[in-house]
Amino acid sequence: MLVMAAGLLSLPALAFGADATPPAPVEYRDVPYVGSRNVIWVIAQLHLLLAGFVLGVPLFAWICEVVGWKGGEKRYDKLAKEFTKLLTSAYSTTALFGAILLFLLIGFYPKLMNYLSDIFFPSFIVYCILFLLETATLYLYWYGWDTMQDGGKKTFHIFLGFLLNFFAFFIMIIPNSWATFQSSPVVLAEGSDIARAWAATWNPTWWPVNIHRIIANVVLGGYICGAYAGIRYLSSKTPEERSHYDWMGYVGNFIGVFGLLSLPFAGYWLMREIYQYNQQMGITLMGGFLSWLFILQAMLIGVLFLGSNYYFWIGMTYRIPGSDLKYKKQMLAMLVALLVCLGIWMTPHSLVASMEEARKMGGSHHPLLGVFGVMSAKMTVANLMILVTFMSFIMYWRAGKQETAGWATAAKVFMGLVLAVSAIAVIVLGVWGYFVPAIIRINYFSTSQVLVVLGVMLTITPLTSILLKSAKTTSEMVWGVMPPRAGYSLVLNAIMIILLMTLMGYARSSSRVHWHVYGVLRDTSQYAYSPALGYASGIMALCTFLFCMIVAFIFWVATMGDKAKTPAVASKAGLPHGLPAMAGGSNALDEPKTSKF
Amino acid sequence: MSEIVRLQLIGLSVVGVGILALLFIRGTFIRVVGFVAIILGLFTLVSLSIPQMASLPPIEEKFDIATVKTPTDMATIGQKIFFSKGQCALCHTIGPSESARCPDLKGIGAKLSREFLYESLTNPQAYIYQDYRVEGMAKEYPATMPYINKNPIGLSRNEILAVIAFLQQMSGEPISIAVSELGTPEPAPVVPAQKAAESSPVAVAQAH
Repeated sequence: MLVMAAGLLSLPALAFGADATPPAPVEYRDVPYVGSRNVIWVIAQLHLLLAGFVLGVPLFAWICEVVGWKGGEKRYDKLAKEFTKLLTSAYSTTALFGAILLFLLIGFYPKLMNYLSDIFFPSFIVYCILFLLETATLYLYWYGWDTMQDGGKKTFHIFLGFLLNFFAFFIMIIPNSWATFQSSPVVLAEGSDIARAWAATWNPTWWPVNIHRIIANVVLGGYICGAYAGIRYLSSKTPEERSHYDWMGYVGNFIGVFGLLSLPFAGYWLMREIYQYNQQMGITLMGGFLSWLFILQAMLIGVLFLGSNYYFWIGMTYRIPGSDLKYKKQMLAMLVALLVCLGIWMTPHSLVASMEEARKMGGSHHPLLGVFGVMSAKMTVANLMILVTFMSFIMYWRAGKQETAGWATAAKVFMGLVLAVSAIAVIVLGVWGYFVPAIIRINYFSTSQVLVVLGVMLTITPLTSILLKSAKTTSEMVWGVMPPRAGYSLVLNAIMIILLMTLMGYARSSSRVHWHVYGVLRDTSQYAYSPALGYASGIMALCTFLFCMIVAFIFWVATMGDKAKTPAVASKAGLPHGLPAMAGGSNALDEPKTSKF
Repeated sequence: MSEIVRLQLIGLSVVGVGILALLFIRGTFIRVVGFVAIILGLFTLVSLSIPQMASLPPIEEKFDIATVKTPTDMATIGQKIFFSKGQCALCHTIGPSESARCPDLKGIGAKLSREFLYESLTNPQAYIYQDYRVEGMAKEYPATMPYINKNPIGLSRNEILAVIAFLQQMSGEPISIAVSELGTPEPAPVVPAQKAAESSPVAVAQAH
């Protein structure tokens, strides 16, 4: 906050060139002490995180509303409404930061903004129109919630939710085109303004970033919902409140993990496109000065996977009586597997060593650990971690239920085989990857590993869903009995995903090195260098903290009116269940049981 | 006190404040803020414990013809360019390497003529864009060779000739480029793009 305040307060002191000599157009302006780049960095990151939040929350809310609508469980509808309520204040806060960012960019980087405006002006207009449509839809969606609850009106309300996300998606991808053009510009032939804007928009990394961000927004929305629920759970006073927020935390974590499992694939596609576009940029990221960043990324993703799995495991232990003993060995095995995988993923390619140590090792590569530092090992363990988390997810989903279908045994054997064979295939491809040229490994082996894991998820998820439709509940889910550490683990997951977003924002921006628009418009300012990771991580931590405080403020403002009311109690479903309950849920739940806090 | 030490102290203080909040404050929100502070502080400390590398913009090296008296001088400059501004070593190796993504350049100056090398650098799509090391039909490389005379690398003609001289010398071949072939240095190739950006609404982006 201090950085922002100092930056904004010192705006009048900007070096406007002044004096009498008129002069060459101003290319850059600066802020004394703080630096224009730091101010832009913080504001842009906050805007981006808020944008991810306001795009992720409607997706999250809409999914919950649809689940409630199809399954007849009113509490999902209530949850969706609770989060949509946040949108009005969150939306204006995001727009506010967007406007601040725009003014600062025009002020600090006039040359760059002039250049981008000349190319993308037609898309600015489309962006504005989309904002109007999005705002109108949001008003209808939110204010019409209570009046559009039954029959055709509810269907129309669901359609409004779809429209809200439809417009939001385009609101996201238009600025993505501006940012991705900076990283991967294309040749712009002569033509109309629209033709040139269209050509620049369709740059090589546009769609990979679009897909990566839409999934990341779902993950962010899910984990923030989880963190909110975690905090409310920790401060709950009554069993009803604890039940409600425990359940909310589980839904948030469920949606977060669901998105998280597919996120690495989108990241892999993006990285591959970057290599295809410009090998130098790819190498700057993966093998150049940013290579250590990916060790940090591995650490954050590893903690996120561990945190998410841990939440599943304590959920099974506390919420589903009897599951703790039933799944204890599996949980331990999965924990060991995750830790081993994380250790390998975090092994750097070359070790930090003194001259003497390096001489003893025979170079900067450790004779044993060096084997784990290469991409083949990292791709393998990343895929294995996804598989392990997916197993946790399926275990949690199936816990406390007894399948009744005649083909249940055959299905379970088949699923077990699919998991085992795919894990072996991933390991074999990973080991084989050491013995083939890099091109073969990248193009065929790594892609095959990704497809194998994706195939597992696409096979087992629908199969489990069908299997559980006719399953009977053997152990009723008990809500509100989770220990306090469950709440903290939800907060930890949210912080990890926010830090990851800030880290990868720095990576994307730094991969352009000293170019505003890679290879076209050079950064000639004093800030043309990319700072080292230690300094950058300080800014990332600051952005994460500020974002959390802003979101906490938004939640506080949005729920201020509820405090006088009686806390919501999860109500029992009144309609027949058209859908199986979400993972770990029970179709017959919701009588809040005793809590042992 | 160095910047790293200062940042480490800040990180440690943040972690300390977080621990104090968890130990002595009863309010849930403040405790959660303390917990977040511990995570962020630890993240910063871990980040500060790994090698700190900043990416500095390359210094605009000038090719001073006056210093080039012999073809060997030219090759020496070419070697510097090969490993710095030219960024050749980012992808190519000199000698076999398991991690090489692009052709090994050992002995390339003996295998290829200077004209072919020049064309490969300035019009790389003319011949070299497929990988024949696989069985069956040739495959496209995952990344193609960039145009060395265009941005973002943007070597001048003199610089490219110097790199070719280095490749020939490194291959044990006599350098076939005479010092007299070097022309007056052209302006840095970055300038047109900047001028275009300032003056023309839409510059022709020449990346890739």
